[in-house]
Amino acid sequence: MIEKLLYVILAAVGLYELVDLAVLRRMKKRLVHRARLLNLLMLLVILTGFAFAIEAMTLYLFLQIVLLNIVEMCVLVLATTGIVLIFKTSVTTNFAQGTIATVGAFTAAKLIIYLTANSAMPMSTKLILALVSSAVVCFLIGLFIDTVIFRHSRYSNPVGKQMITMGIVLVLFGLMPVLFGLLPLTVEAFSYEGQIINLPNMFPLFLPNHNLYALCITVAMLVTLFAALRFTKWGLGVRATASNETVASMMGVNTKLITALSWGIAGAFGGVAAFLFAPVGNAVTVSFMTPVQVNAFLASILGGFSSFGGPLVGAVLINLFSSIASAINSVWTNVIVYVLVLLLVLAKPLGLFGKKTAKKV
Amino acid sequence: MTTLRLSFDRIRKQLASIARHPYFGFLAFGSILVVLRLLAIGGVIPNSLMKSLVITMIYAIIALGFSLLLGYGGLASLGTAGFVGLGTYFIGHFSGTLGYPFAATLLISLLGAIVLGAIVGFISLRIEGMYLAIITLGLSEILREVFKSFTAFTNGVNGLGFRDFALFGLPVSDTAVDFIVIFVFILIILGTLNIIKSPTGRALLAMKNSDSAAQSMGIGLMKYRLLAFILATIYAVIGGLLYMMDQQFSIPTTWSLDFSLNILAAVVVGGAQSITGIILGTFMIFGLNMTVLKEIAFFREYPDATWIVSGLLIILITMFYPGGLIRLIQAIRFWLVKTGKKLKRKWRIHRYGEDD
Amino acid sequence: MAKMIDSLLQGFRLHRLNRLRDQRSFLENYLPILVKAIRDREARRTALWNERAEAALRGPAILADIATPALAAEKQAALAKIEERYRWRFKALAQSKKRALERSADPAVETTFAHRAEELESRKRQTLTKCALRFETPLERSQSDLAAAKEAYRLKSEAVQAKAEKRLTLEKAKADRSVAAKTASYESKIALLGNKIEAVRGVLIARRSADADSMMPEDVLLSVRNLSMRFGGLLAVDNLSFDVRKGEIFGLIGPNGAGKTTIFNCITRFYRATAGEMLYRKNAVEVIRLNDYPVHDIIRQGIVRTFQNVELVWELSILDNLLVAAHTVYRTGFFGQLFHTPKLRREEEVMRAKAFSVLNTLGLLPYAFAIPYGLPYGILKKIELARTLMAHPRLIILDEPAAGLNDKETEELAVLIKKIRDDYHATIFLVEHDMGLVMDVCDTICAISFGKKLALGTPAEIQADKLVRSAYLGEES
Repeated sequence: MIEKLLYVILAAVGLYELVDLAVLRRMKKRLVHRARLLNLLMLLVILTGFAFAIEAMTLYLFLQIVLLNIVEMCVLVLATTGIVLIFKTSVTTNFAQGTIATVGAFTAAKLIIYLTANSAMPMSTKLILALVSSAVVCFLIGLFIDTVIFRHSRYSNPVGKQMITMGIVLVLFGLMPVLFGLLPLTVEAFSYEGQIINLPNMFPLFLPNHNLYALCITVAMLVTLFAALRFTKWGLGVRATASNETVASMMGVNTKLITALSWGIAGAFGGVAAFLFAPVGNAVTVSFMTPVQVNAFLASILGGFSSFGGPLVGAVLINLFSSIASAINSVWTNVIVYVLVLLLVLAKPLGLFGKKTAKKV
Repeated sequence: MTTLRLSFDRIRKQLASIARHPYFGFLAFGSILVVLRLLAIGGVIPNSLMKSLVITMIYAIIALGFSLLLGYGGLASLGTAGFVGLGTYFIGHFSGTLGYPFAATLLISLLGAIVLGAIVGFISLRIEGMYLAIITLGLSEILREVFKSFTAFTNGVNGLGFRDFALFGLPVSDTAVDFIVIFVFILIILGTLNIIKSPTGRALLAMKNSDSAAQSMGIGLMKYRLLAFILATIYAVIGGLLYMMDQQFSIPTTWSLDFSLNILAAVVVGGAQSITGIILGTFMIFGLNMTVLKEIAFFREYPDATWIVSGLLIILITMFYPGGLIRLIQAIRFWLVKTGKKLKRKWRIHRYGEDD
Repeated sequence: MAKMIDSLLQGFRLHRLNRLRDQRSFLENYLPILVKAIRDREARRTALWNERAEAALRGPAILADIATPALAAEKQAALAKIEERYRWRFKALAQSKKRALERSADPAVETTFAHRAEELESRKRQTLTKCALRFETPLERSQSDLAAAKEAYRLKSEAVQAKAEKRLTLEKAKADRSVAAKTASYESKIALLGNKIEAVRGVLIARRSADADSMMPEDVLLSVRNLSMRFGGLLAVDNLSFDVRKGEIFGLIGPNGAGKTTIFNCITRFYRATAGEMLYRKNAVEVIRLNDYPVHDIIRQGIVRTFQNVELVWELSILDNLLVAAHTVYRTGFFGQLFHTPKLRREEEVMRAKAFSVLNTLGLLPYAFAIPYGLPYGILKKIELARTLMAHPRLIILDEPAAGLNDKETEELAVLIKKIRDDYHATIFLVEHDMGLVMDVCDTICAISFGKKLALGTPAEIQADKLVRSAYLGEES
């Protein structure tokens, strides 16, 4: 399989050079076309790679793993969205995204314990209440960070803001055992049953209900977010702030409100992600979101920070990579994924969908 | 009588000129550390305090290397943990498991550091800013996965022990390791001082300020980025070697993102461009909870709560003193001098009257 | 094959020549520093010996009641110090009297304070006499004793003076000797290097291939030929050619967006030119294609540039900023820097001396140890200019040197540019919007618009040119 992929890559590079020499030389906007060609060929190579991998592990296994990993994909997508939203409005990478979300998960777990002890609600009501509480707590923490800390930091360069988010990580790490106790907690899944999907010419596939719910929640949240970005005044403000904060504020956009809301919404996304992530074999501990955090960063740079959609595609891609890699070799899964991402980013330093901004000398 | 006074003057001037030499402070610091260690042998100060000071020194070495990257080269990297971990496994595997002589281990480690640093340096030529930080974070995670899975080299998730360390065929005791750490620490401080006060240090600063201006002055980006990363990696690997000598145990969970973040925090909290500041920052982040905070009942109940102190320190210092603690101390000193002058003036007016 | 070997040999010779020149310039620059250090040491030792002689004579002079000038001055100083101390005490007394009077108008207060003032006065007198006594003979002595003391003083002073003179002449002779020796050895080394340089240069010139001269005429320093630069669909520079002659001030003018800075960036290799070539006469025998060099090697060929927006190292002092610009001149390797070898220290001293001389030329000496933050814009621009002079420039490229300066500063700048051209034997190539400056300083001007050449000639010709006028003023031709 690896040899086949190598042949494909070689062929792609050859094709690229050939087209570049033969056709693009004579064209006017050579650079633009060259970049487009490169994108197209890279997409092709990735797709072929997927095809080979699926062939090697059989379509059934692939589909089954993807179905089982849906919840992780949703979590990654939600976390990445939060990071990108904050990057767009505050020009900083938020290292605290995962930790804030962990606080949300702890709150949810504690709330479930409290409700079970004190009332006789059905499980589904308790879970919905817990989900909402997780999102609300994270929203408030995000709001707090922006309004209290970021707005009062006197010299706010990107690295300084990054440092502040790292400080927040440490503070929350220290606070959580004090607030929620030293023991790991658990969050129940929505349902432990699943659907059997029958496809022609194949064994029946199993889809856990929890994954289905997670997918629905994620899609609903993403659709709402993108609709808001596209159609509301807040969305316009976010896009304006992302393009240039100073100009936006001079044009009468209330950038402070927009940044604060973005922090809050990013926090809420993280809270929901942590709530969904906790039941799939993960006890809620202080650092249970760290792998998601790392993967979300990698997804963001794989897609490129310059667009909203790119990082989401990056998140999906990383999840697919790790699904396939775990089927091929379960010990070195993460190494395979990281090396793949590293190579892709080295080939396209600004991400798969990144745009270059020229620097003036 | 007068002759005597004159010669006293001369001796004082000589001493003052020695004290003004940039090495003097650090050499004095080193002697104090040696004296402390001797006192610990004598049982005057507790051994546990000395242990935490030694490990803080090791972290300070790593932080110094990182400051060459961040404070001078302007290159953000989150791969420190992986490199330090690699150092611990180098000595643990080659000197411990395989029983190579230390010189061979050192050679292998340095070569490994140079190769790894060069790889990251090449990556940094293509990827910049926060992207670089995240990519190095990915590299560090790759290394951590390797530590977990490559059991022949690292003994996997159970951790690798390292005992009976021998140098030139002689067994080295724990006390001797402490002296080695102090010696290497001071040596590395002086080397760093020399580098940052030489054309190389200035070239790194120029590169941090503006790539294009640096290039137009003949500073090749490739050479100096590679140099910065290789130096930082060598410092980290040396830190790893010392860590293994001192702690005699290394486990993959230590070398995670938290470790890199803490090193970064130490550099930023102290002041990224001052050696004194970095030592101070390392002590604030690592030494403080090992020596002072663990005496407080609240922190004994929740050991992890010491993070709150470090975190608050980082947040407050980045918010109000982005130059780090060293700037804060300078500001305080400035304020003291100013207030002293003001008080003196007030007193004079009170004592001698308004005029003159 | 033979040609290849020949060119290889020429390359080696060139390398050797450069090394020899570097060595020579280092020796030439280091000699004055060394001499100054020797002289400083001599002055220090001389002062020390004088001090010692005075100290030796102090006791006998007091015994003999002779007020030598040194002793008199010492006494004066001691008395003045006491006077000053008591002046403050009196002031304090007056102040407390004032405060006491404010509290109560008791006549007893007046008398108490008068009493205290008297007491203080008498104490002051006592102290003064006691102090004066320290410089006089403490004993009542007969005339003969005094005469004997005087005689003793005379003898002692003669002896001391003789000894001091001997010491001083010895010191001076030693310093002279060492200066002479150093000068002689350095000069002989310099002369030897000079001979070697001449020899290598002779061979180089004798063996030079004809194509260097055929590529471009002897007096042209930089020749830009058919340069084109395309960004995507935009043609920023279109088939442009011009020559910059040695030792002239060449100006490039054009309306906004005409592609002036783009041309600079092509020459200094920040941009890769789409087409065309830039030829540069590196030295008497070598013409190089700048297209073949990376950005950071351009300065090694002797081309230095400034930037439109000031690009300094903000954390370093002005002096250190200049040292950064001398980066390519350092010969010490990394390990030399790691251990701070004497070689590096000597080099640093030479560079510092050079930086000070450059700062002196531009009138920036008061700012030498300042941090660039918060300095006025005119000064920052001058620092950028100073930076170009640190690395043996042959061609200095100035990108809008007068932007942001007021009229007076611009006038100063014009004088400065001419001075730099004359003092440092450099050719200057500048882009500028300020027509007054350009017309004032430039020998040749090239006017461009939308990447195309409009006219090339002396300032007068350019002013008269119709195309240029229409491009600038929108006149219908």
